[in-house]
Amino acid sequence: MIDQTPESTPQTIAEEPVEDDSSASASPGRGPVAAVRRRVTAFMGLRESGIFIALILIFSIMCLLSPQFRSGFNLTVLTEQMASIAIMATGQTLVIISGAFDISQAAVAGLAAMVSGLVWMDLGLNPILALLAGILCGIMAGITNGILASVFRLHPIVMTLATSTMFIGVTYLITGGEPVIGLPNVLLWMGESTIGPVPVSAAIMVVVVALMHILLTRTRFGVRVRQVGGNVEAARLIGVNVRRIWLGVFIISAVLAALGGEIEMGRVGNAIPTIGSTLLFPIITASILGGTLLTGGEGSMIGTLLGAAVLTVINNALVVLQVDPYSQSIVEGALVVAALIVDQFRRKQLTLRNLLRPDL
Amino acid sequence: MSDGNVALVSMQGISKKYANVRALSNVDLTLSRGEVVSLVGDNGAGKSTLIKILCGAVRPDAGMISIEGEHVEITKPSVALSLGISVIYQDLALFNNLTASENVFAGRELVRRICGVPFVRQKKMLQESQILLSRLGIVTMKSTRGQAGDLSGGQRQMIAVGRSIGVNSRVMVLDEPTAALGVRETGVLLDLVQSLRDEGLAILFVTHRIPDAMMLSNRIVVLKGGEVQGEMDPKSCELDDVIELIVRGRKL
Repeated sequence: MIDQTPESTPQTIAEEPVEDDSSASASPGRGPVAAVRRRVTAFMGLRESGIFIALILIFSIMCLLSPQFRSGFNLTVLTEQMASIAIMATGQTLVIISGAFDISQAAVAGLAAMVSGLVWMDLGLNPILALLAGILCGIMAGITNGILASVFRLHPIVMTLATSTMFIGVTYLITGGEPVIGLPNVLLWMGESTIGPVPVSAAIMVVVVALMHILLTRTRFGVRVRQVGGNVEAARLIGVNVRRIWLGVFIISAVLAALGGEIEMGRVGNAIPTIGSTLLFPIITASILGGTLLTGGEGSMIGTLLGAAVLTVINNALVVLQVDPYSQSIVEGALVVAALIVDQFRRKQLTLRNLLRPDL
Repeated sequence: MSDGNVALVSMQGISKKYANVRALSNVDLTLSRGEVVSLVGDNGAGKSTLIKILCGAVRPDAGMISIEGEHVEITKPSVALSLGISVIYQDLALFNNLTASENVFAGRELVRRICGVPFVRQKKMLQESQILLSRLGIVTMKSTRGQAGDLSGGQRQMIAVGRSIGVNSRVMVLDEPTAALGVRETGVLLDLVQSLRDEGLAILFVTHRIPDAMMLSNRIVVLKGGEVQGEMDPKSCELDDVIELIVRGRKL
């Protein structure tokens, strides 16, 4: 690692080495070509550029290959499939940036959907209140995770795995494993309706991603999250209330998980106890594909959205191309492995040189 | 008594025990405006414990701290900050994943409230950190937009200094600030410490490098085994005297 540390003295500073190189090679560089080149380098320097290009490529190829893929109906289905994953993944991204993990999101999604269904059916409450009850469940689950992570300082992966099991237990306990069917339209609206050609769930997704992006990049809370994820000790020394930050990110994550569960309920049409169970892996995949550093500190909501899009497009493509459904898991798993390798390179834990020479 | 005669910081009878180890016993230390006091001593002499107590990271078992004659309880780092005591830690405690400007303003981000939500004013922070760092003689850094993790040791040091100056500090504690620096960068830093002193700050300079301490400070305080061995005036003593005191302790 030592050989990679730049030996620069105070007067040879390159805040972005890439940019320096380009301006050196295009030395007269004032013309339109240089300007374009600068734009391109700036774009390539963005965290999201890789996943964006991947999405464009895969999407274009699929559109050329398959008329079925590019049909309006399929594109609507695709955005509906993507919405709940992207919404929950932005929460996951926030948690990972803060230096933790939330494995319990899928369980919270199922719990929230079932609570909404039961509250409507058994208590006969107004469907809107039933939805709010589900979200309230999310808040409570988030508080549980947050307290266990911040006050007791439990390891987030194992801790949320445990609470996840508990939330699943609660879900089955209150429902006896039975689905709630015949839900009213209001309860299903978020997941099944469209406004013109746009699914409601996609609109909610756009709003959530925008809000989360602003939260992360523009607010003081966002800065605190990045500080805690980057260097917990330093954060404590400058007076950051680390407990409050962890409590906050776990609550946000669980609320978004509950929202995702409500949307899935609408998409499926019924409240089924297993509703979120297949979502956990896609959520984490979307977050990783979007460029979130697993060690914390860095990540992007736009990247997470693009990650969810790539994942959904690939899964949808496999269906459209009539690939064996079982191989979908293989592709999904391979995708994460690829993303992890990219992550290693970005953290400079791995370079081409020491990849080829294992003794280094 | 005029203001100038009261020590800015006075630590009296500070003691601290870790399990069975006496880290500090009955240590007195004063700092006045416009002076640099060097704290020297071997590993395990108690230097780190003393500055951690001053900056609120560790609570002493006994002893009293007063600022401008007033008794204060420094219970946590944020209290020390609000009293105008800022520390630059040996490992700098920077956030490598944040920009230089975000590091300079870490913990006291400039915000604008919109509907009660504090939004960070990135542009203003960028401008002000640039002005601040160029005042420190780091005009060479092209922009404070880059991530701190990509900067050189000297630049990182300057960001840490910039951060502690930014909090309107009256007392600045530098913990082994030159340990990671090259010759040239050390020179820049020492010049900077002198100009901060001339602006009226009280500076506590913790170091292993006795020549730096001799050159820079008004007084040298020697710690050994958790006790103050003596105070020396660098103008009237030799390097060897200081080293002798560090190694052998007080002459009996």
